Amino acid sequence: MPAVRASELQVVGRRIPKLDAPEKVTGQIAYADDLRMSGLLEGAILRSPHPHARILSIDVSDAERLPGVRAVIHAGNVQQGCFGYGNDNVPLKGDKVRFIGDEVAAVAAVDEEVAKRALELIRVEYEVLPAVFDPFEALEDSSPSIHDELPDVDGNVSMRWDFDHGDVDAVADRAAAIVEGRYSAPQAAPAPIETHVVIASFSPSGHLTVWSPVHMVFMYRKALADVLGLDWRKITVIQPPVGGSFGGKIDIDTHDFIAVMLARHARRPVRLVMSREEEFIGTRTRQPIHFTLRTGADADGNLLFRDAEVVSDNGAYNAWGSHAMLVAMNTITSMYRVPNSRIRCAVVYTNKNYGGSVRGFGNPQATFAVEQQMEELADALGMDPMDLRLRNANQSGDVTPQGMEITSCGLSQCLDIVREQSGWDRRRGKMRDRHRGLGAAAFIHVGGGARIYGSDGCGAIVKVDESGQVTLISGSSELGQGSETALAMIVAEEMGVPIESVHVVNSNTDIKPWDVGVHASRTTFVAGNAARMAAAAARDKILEAAADLLDARAGDLRIREGVVEVAGEPDRQIEFGRAVRRRLLREEGSVVMATAFYDPPTHHQDKDYRGNISAAYGFGAHVAEVEVDPGTGMVRLLNLWTAHDVGRAINPMSCEGQIEGGAAMGVGLALSEELVMFDGQIAAPNFHDYGLPTAVDVPRTVVNLVETIDPLGPFGAKGVGEGGIIPPPAAIANAIADATGVRPREYPMRPWKVKHWIDSGERSHVVAGKEASEHG
Amino acid sequence: MADVFIPGSLEEAVDFLADHPTTAMPIAGGTDLLVDARTGRSRPERLVDLSGLRGIEGFELDGELLRVGALTRIRSIELDAELGRRATALVEAARVLGSVQIRTMATVGGNLCHGTPSAEMPPSLLVHDAVAEITGKGGQYSVPLAAFFVAPGRTVLAPGDLLTSVRARVPSSAAGSCYLRQTVRWSMDLAGVGVAASVHVEGGAVSNARVALCAVAPVPMVVTGAENAVMGTSLAPDALAEAGRRAAEACSPISDARGTAEYRRQVVSVLVPRALRIAWLRATGSWPEGSPAPVNGVWTRE
Repeated sequence: MPAVRASELQVVGRRIPKLDAPEKVTGQIAYADDLRMSGLLEGAILRSPHPHARILSIDVSDAERLPGVRAVIHAGNVQQGCFGYGNDNVPLKGDKVRFIGDEVAAVAAVDEEVAKRALELIRVEYEVLPAVFDPFEALEDSSPSIHDELPDVDGNVSMRWDFDHGDVDAVADRAAAIVEGRYSAPQAAPAPIETHVVIASFSPSGHLTVWSPVHMVFMYRKALADVLGLDWRKITVIQPPVGGSFGGKIDIDTHDFIAVMLARHARRPVRLVMSREEEFIGTRTRQPIHFTLRTGADADGNLLFRDAEVVSDNGAYNAWGSHAMLVAMNTITSMYRVPNSRIRCAVVYTNKNYGGSVRGFGNPQATFAVEQQMEELADALGMDPMDLRLRNANQSGDVTPQGMEITSCGLSQCLDIVREQSGWDRRRGKMRDRHRGLGAAAFIHVGGGARIYGSDGCGAIVKVDESGQVTLISGSSELGQGSETALAMIVAEEMGVPIESVHVVNSNTDIKPWDVGVHASRTTFVAGNAARMAAAAARDKILEAAADLLDARAGDLRIREGVVEVAGEPDRQIEFGRAVRRRLLREEGSVVMATAFYDPPTHHQDKDYRGNISAAYGFGAHVAEVEVDPGTGMVRLLNLWTAHDVGRAINPMSCEGQIEGGAAMGVGLALSEELVMFDGQIAAPNFHDYGLPTAVDVPRTVVNLVETIDPLGPFGAKGVGEGGIIPPPAAIANAIADATGVRPREYPMRPWKVKHWIDSGERSHVVAGKEASEHG
Repeated sequence: MADVFIPGSLEEAVDFLADHPTTAMPIAGGTDLLVDARTGRSRPERLVDLSGLRGIEGFELDGELLRVGALTRIRSIELDAELGRRATALVEAARVLGSVQIRTMATVGGNLCHGTPSAEMPPSLLVHDAVAEITGKGGQYSVPLAAFFVAPGRTVLAPGDLLTSVRARVPSSAAGSCYLRQTVRWSMDLAGVGVAASVHVEGGAVSNARVALCAVAPVPMVVTGAENAVMGTSLAPDALAEAGRRAAEACSPISDARGTAEYRRQVVSVLVPRALRIAWLRATGSWPEGSPAPVNGVWTRE
């Protein structure tokens, strides 16, 4: 598609409120939990109270006899297969339980109260086994083996991710400065307002319909079929509006299988709704990752190498979280120009809640290590950290050691903007007397799809009916991130119609074409390109009909605000819908409908983790300003300046919302959010103790949108969904270091940790270079 | 599901509670009880809804005597300008309790009777020598608030006893108070450490002082040792530091998800001097009128 100048755009670039905003803000929208159907049963899950135990027996006879109970299922009376990477998981456990919350049995009953009483009547006999919660302990030979049934698992190492580029040891010898340290990220949760929910219903003819706010709906359907032995041609999945996901609802979760099995046993539709406590205890988390990182540079500030040993605390089973190193690795090898890198990563099973996908997917964790070391290294070199970043910034035309082809790239511009707006050059290092500091962090993240599956594509259908209404049927769904509005804007722009006449249908597998699913900040880019292609094809059909009516050549026509006119002759025009009717309402007529499929020109990584997995990469930079109370360790975030290279802002209001929302989540990660556990038990599975930030904790966030007009993005747009969450933990850590002179080692930087670092004088570990760092 | 009894008078409420000592619980704002019922910490079969009772809601100032009815909403304390001048610590505690929605429902009596170690209102009432006024089956009686709390979740109230009001002494001049806390978030959080202080200043020296803590012992506590450390002084740094040290020694915090015992003692030693200092500034007219103290007492200047 040719590049388009901003001045020619009618719809793209306008600030348009989300199309579903009125329904959402007035509470009218029907989420999955609002759906009603006759005969609907309520499901409930019995979960393991032990972090590691062998199941000796399960007795459900009393539960089955309770009036109102319609089905009681457990591993002994269901047909179920394995799932998860390495097939290490099964919906209902029959042999062992491996974390507190593991699914053991489930019931379906006429109401929630009966279902809960039935759970209390199920008797499970356990043989409690030694458990391990610390991934470093889990690596020791003496540790209990969590998946002794899997022959390929070496100890508790579920998988390894090792990467080598160049020769780290050789260049380390000539480094003028080297810093090293351990940086840890905690167990966190996506914590959406809407908890996980699923409804499953079989028709009398055996067709299964599932209502689930899942992102990757086609893979969800396949997993249901594969694991439960169903015919996937007889499954329809409907995605109701999503009340928040942040990655937590990306793929199939254990309770989805359980709901379908309950519906099969009860021969009635069954709903499973996670309570708030279950949402924390029984669904997937952002797994803790520990990075031992070394970074070296020469005397001029050219980065020489990064050397990382990484331990990912996977939890009990392999879900998406086991693959977060895909992204963390990108950051270690490719955030800035790093000529040599070495990564040794072990993903380690522990008897804890396991890692899924959460916004940023490994990147906030890796950036916390990488970007702190950029500032530590700058201090060791006697350089300004912004100068060090700019000297090593990725540039258009670069190919990173992992084969990532950098096309549009606004990293340097983003750094310049936040440097200027924060007063970096005159304020950093000069506010110590007031316990204030500035810290920065940048990010790189996929922004043009991410090829992690055979297809990274998305289909689109554009249909124009006889009223002139345009319907986009997109493979990709809406999570609340505003993609539906962005896609409608792209279609409206391409067709020359007002945004109000574009409808989006995107929530039913029977209707919509393939899409791999919403993840990796890919929807605007991939689904947007597909929508644009389909819209262009539909527009051409209309122009053809209009040319006939206007007695003109199609090439001389243009469409503006729903009116087709001959270029240069505005009085020769017809209304858009009339052209459609001209095609349709006649003998041998035809409908205006066009399809398209867009799969980005990208490649799977090879076995050495090389390959251009995305057709574009997003960049950005943040500067945080904090005030630290050295007496209590309390950190107040005063300011946050952000600049993001979004390619082109299809809807600037929506881009700002995504960045502000992401940044707020990043602030929560940095300062307050953590699933605190004692012996594998989440101490307080509730919104109070989990520590989501409030409006008081998040300062006004300055958002700058940098438009680099990506060569492959729809109208030049790149992904923007995840970027905001990535830099804050690192930027805030750097700001604390500037304010106090001590170096944060883990997040969340809750007050007692900050106090501990201050009192113990936690500093940078400078292996080579200037010892006396001013900034921790 | 519990049955709800709506009493027509205080006496009816007391009688009902006394008649059902193991199954009935009073409910006012419900902000603690409903959470407890949902998590299973509390399973009342009968609820006695106090919210319609007359005569024990609201507060009045009569000279130096402040009487706060048990049904007074936290929000109405927070918004009162006169209380803001005379019982500043109480208003500061009210300002940081939960959210606006919670404060609009929650009552002073509920906050005291629930007996949570980290409850916000007790320290700020304790520094004003508060006394709990109680009506029970045998009539009315009073207990100093310092003796009201027995253990986490437990008070001196016997079944059938209802806290009706709290009276406190709030000097009209040359006095000031302050409530500070340590939290993880800057709003909607429970105190990891809560500190209230009040001072009365005569002739450039402290003539009376009170220091009270929450969240660092099984029950809210008054720290007499800290008070003695500043009596007769003009709050020189060493006197303040000594007060902090004594408070840290006197308390008995636990380690949990909201911080370690050692950390909490450190924070007590930091927040006690700050709270005393701000109370002094208020007593001497050196603190901006009507300006609340920052949560942790650190005065941020641009």
